[in-house]
Amino acid sequence: MFNRRDFLRTSSLLALAPTVPAFLTAAARAAPPQRDGRVLVVIELNGGNDGINTVVPFTDEGYAKNRKSLRLPANQLLKINDQVGLHPALRGAAKLLESNRLVIVQGVGYPNSNRSHFQSMAIWQSGRMRPAPDNLGWLGAALDGGSSPADGSPAAVLSGFDNLPLALGGRHCRAAAMTRLDDLVLHGSVDLQRAFAAHDTADDLKSFVRRSFLDAYATADRLRAVVGTSDRGAAYPQTQLGERLRLVAQLLKGGLGTRVYYAIHRGYDTHYAQIPTHSMLLGELSGALKAFLDDLAAAELAERVLVFCFSEFGRPVQENGSEGTDHGTAGPVLLAGPHVKAGLVGTTPSLTDLDPHGDLKVGLDFRQVYASVLEDWLDLPSKPVLGADFAKLSLFRS
Amino acid sequence: MCTERPAVLIGKPWARYVPSPDAPWNLQRVVHLHRRAGFAATWSELQRDLKDGPNASIDRLLTGRTRCDGVPQDFVSTADTLAIRAGSVERLKAWWVYRMMFGPDPLTERLVSLWHNHFATSAAKVGMAVHRQNEIFRRFARAPFGELLRHVIHDPALLVWLDAPANRKEHPNENLGRELMELFTLGFGHYTEKDVKEASRALTGWTVDEDKFKEDAGLHDPAEKTILGQTGHWKGDDLVRLLLEHPATSERLAFRICELFMGDGATDVGGLKSLAAGLREHHLDIGWAVETVLRSEAFFANANLGNRIIGPVEYVVGAVRALELFDPAPSTLILAEYISNLGHDLFYPPNVFGWPGGRSWINSRSAIGRCNFALALAAGTELGRPMAFDPRVVAQRHGRDGDLAAIVNFYAELLLGVVPPGMWRDRLLKALGPKLVADVPTSRQAVALVLASPEAQLS
Repeated sequence: MFNRRDFLRTSSLLALAPTVPAFLTAAARAAPPQRDGRVLVVIELNGGNDGINTVVPFTDEGYAKNRKSLRLPANQLLKINDQVGLHPALRGAAKLLESNRLVIVQGVGYPNSNRSHFQSMAIWQSGRMRPAPDNLGWLGAALDGGSSPADGSPAAVLSGFDNLPLALGGRHCRAAAMTRLDDLVLHGSVDLQRAFAAHDTADDLKSFVRRSFLDAYATADRLRAVVGTSDRGAAYPQTQLGERLRLVAQLLKGGLGTRVYYAIHRGYDTHYAQIPTHSMLLGELSGALKAFLDDLAAAELAERVLVFCFSEFGRPVQENGSEGTDHGTAGPVLLAGPHVKAGLVGTTPSLTDLDPHGDLKVGLDFRQVYASVLEDWLDLPSKPVLGADFAKLSLFRS
Repeated sequence: MCTERPAVLIGKPWARYVPSPDAPWNLQRVVHLHRRAGFAATWSELQRDLKDGPNASIDRLLTGRTRCDGVPQDFVSTADTLAIRAGSVERLKAWWVYRMMFGPDPLTERLVSLWHNHFATSAAKVGMAVHRQNEIFRRFARAPFGELLRHVIHDPALLVWLDAPANRKEHPNENLGRELMELFTLGFGHYTEKDVKEASRALTGWTVDEDKFKEDAGLHDPAEKTILGQTGHWKGDDLVRLLLEHPATSERLAFRICELFMGDGATDVGGLKSLAAGLREHHLDIGWAVETVLRSEAFFANANLGNRIIGPVEYVVGAVRALELFDPAPSTLILAEYISNLGHDLFYPPNVFGWPGGRSWINSRSAIGRCNFALALAAGTELGRPMAFDPRVVAQRHGRDGDLAAIVNFYAELLLGVVPPGMWRDRLLKALGPKLVADVPTSRQAVALVLASPEAQLS
């Protein structure tokens, strides 16, 4: 058995020789990148992104009145039009907008906004106002309604250390979590599939564990083929989000059949000293997003990919006393990729005409965005997922 | 030293366990007890408890006398030295793993982990302050909850984590007030947004000065507040009192206790309410609740066996203990790293909600991770341990040596409490290859397979 450190240095198929059947090595060299099949990459901005300082309505008199230490000077903003500008850290995103690869849906939320991280995130992740039956996520439920990847890949992949988000929970579709390509490689020569294979369709915990383990072995087998592909090393920012998206790009380049990818960007719960933190986060987001789309464009894969960025709520107009903001309501959703209808969608929320709690009024229901993405991008029915019909938005060029 | 508490009849849900033909005191139940209330046990410890019966076994767990193997003479001084010399959160993780592995009181360490999850505070923001917080959890792990809460909430780690110093009369900051209500006491749905705002006002003035809690009257909003229907010139400690008195807090604590000791589907609403009522009668005494649950028929019922996923810490530490890898032991730094890779990055909860646990511990990455850990442990030298591991030696020590089937039987009983029925063992033996010789490499593979089996992920 080889040393663990040695193993991690040389994560190629050859190093795995004792465990990989010969035909897989041949297949890996021959595999072309999959040309068809649209892909969705979801970036969760965890904590509640301050939409007001992301897509800034700098001519709204409510801005100067309510944001003192948090007011971004108009001349520093990256102007989209005469009334709205992007946070200065969103340079990469601005370039995407200029090259027609970014659409910003404004004022997105849902009725009776919930300001608890947990509750609001559960609503966004399930696509339901009340918890979904069996804790299904909107993506999991949608993928259940389609067919699983022909090559045995997981239906969804979480790029990151985190626990699988509720959004990916499906009745039978399978999701895997990874941080590096060799995360799902067995460091030994035991035939686990042979030792524990058993048909198990029951719903109890034992069956869940058994199925999960067998799924893991199957995923590991499939990914061994991808491990060998060489990556000419596109330039990503040296941030955790950059690494997350780089891994997604590697998997796509490796021809993985997975259609949905998920990454979590943490830190948006800026109750305190918001300016430097928010600036850093938006810079990370913007840089990683642009690098990712440029990398895919160079690999001729960009046409297949849509990136979707959301947060569980926005933040109030009025800043708190600690140069930060507490929990709010509506916020912007960003969608990026060559197929989007670039620009702004929806009305910019007014900072003076507010809801009874003094927060932004919700302009568009997030389920309308979901319906558009599910049907117009992924070709999957949205009604079974969301429980009802929601009017779609025009987000994509034909 | 056995704590004599007056027997309190709180109804059927938590009636005391008495061995019966339907629920015999057998090896499976002894393993179950140690898996849920500790970090697994060695064969000697299991056999001793099997012989002595449930009451004596639980007594030992409650009084920190359960381990007869692997507790070094100088445990206390070594642990203290490790803590003092830690200097970084990575080394602090190794210190905590050391405590869990070698300390005499695994039940308390399980509770420390519960509180770490409940009051999820990340070192990413507060740095080494998590050390003192961890010691508070240890000191008050089984105290009346009010004592634990007051100490935790007056400790800089939590105050800084939830922006207490920034919460002032002129400009309140809702972070501490909200999470105090939503996470630490009442739980969601038992308060309104207005309550959060008023609670935040009550907490104004709580700050940190020279690394200590300080109540600054100048920053405090002294005006009247109405919280949970009660009006007064409430200050922070008044708020804490109001929250402790509210019945929803006892329910949330009952939920937490059951989350730790009871598995999927083993507790119903009646059980939770009954435990919550008992907590209210006992000043929210956590120790009382822990003892009540552990001694209960419900805890030892068939419906509560094998229905809980073993979390990363218990999986890793439990395996090392059961295999008696004490001297030399694997590196606690490396063990902490494995635990982190399995999804439980100690001192770095992903957010204020901590780790959801349960099924969320299992995903493709953690499944392969557990298998890789099993392979590394069975090899023996992969974990910073200079000596290779010979599984036959432990089996021999306990008179269970023999052919490969005997080895598999022993380790299945040790780790799972019972050999799983049906084709489990035969399939496992077949996967070891055509020659079923109990030589060292094959024995190691056998142990790895037992440890990596789906059955070994449940307790």
